[in-house]
Amino acid sequence: MHILVFKTNIETEDHHKEVGVLLSSHRSVIDWNIDKEDIDKVLRIESELNNSHEIISTINLAGFICEELPD
Amino acid sequence: MNERSFIFVPEMRIRDTNKEALVKQTAMELLLRDGFDGFSMQKLAKACEISVGTLYIYYKNKEDLILKVGVEEGKRMMKATMKNFSPDMPFKEGLKVQWENRSSYWLKNREASLFYENIKHTPYGEVIVEEISKYFRPAMTKFVQNAIANKQLHFLSFESYWSVAFGPLYTLLKFDQSGKSVGNKSYKFSKKTMYQTLELVTKALTP
Repeated sequence: MHILVFKTNIETEDHHKEVGVLLSSHRSVIDWNIDKEDIDKVLRIESELNNSHEIISTINLAGFICEELPD
Repeated sequence: MNERSFIFVPEMRIRDTNKEALVKQTAMELLLRDGFDGFSMQKLAKACEISVGTLYIYYKNKEDLILKVGVEEGKRMMKATMKNFSPDMPFKEGLKVQWENRSSYWLKNREASLFYENIKHTPYGEVIVEEISKYFRPAMTKFVQNAIANKQLHFLSFESYWSVAFGPLYTLLKFDQSGKSVGNKSYKFSKKTMYQTLELVTKALTP
């Protein structure tokens, strides 16, 4: 399992739901959460694949900022 | 930042287990200093000199981190408390072992102990205490039941028993923590005062 961590601008409850629909149906996503309290609105994904780029484009296409947080 | 956090900050890249230990220790220090509302993942990452991204690899969010650190600390404390202890011990002996273990753990792990004391009465505490209790409640219950059955302990409500059995010890440890007892009188914990107090506690609890 891979843990992927991103900085986003997913802030509101509606945005959260919107992203949720995309991620829950995503082929590699096992679990996900967004820390809305955090300034970076961190999106954390437990993924079967090491596929950050794919996740980033999925979120970008929905109209949100999504950048990898370096470790 | 707490002065002490600097001691743990590594100069070069360290093994992940060290990094995790650093994160836990610093988290407890920050939580004690800033409280739950003043604590954030960003502040913790900065204090540990690691990236926020790394922190999120270990923990889902602030709540997840506090719960995990709390459970782990609680387990460590309980494990230390049960060292050389058996529920089949005579009451006096078992209580003495408990006092010795609890005081030496407190004195060696002050931040962790204070953190655990603080978290106990928060919503996090409920989850943590429930999780920890699984490991030691059966032994402590058996110890008390044996003692009552063997007429080595008065039959009391749990709260009365606990407050007499351990309350005085924690009062002494908290005096030590602040360096002062009642009325600003300076105080330092010693085995001598501990055993004196334990003797009175034992007298009060045993028939």
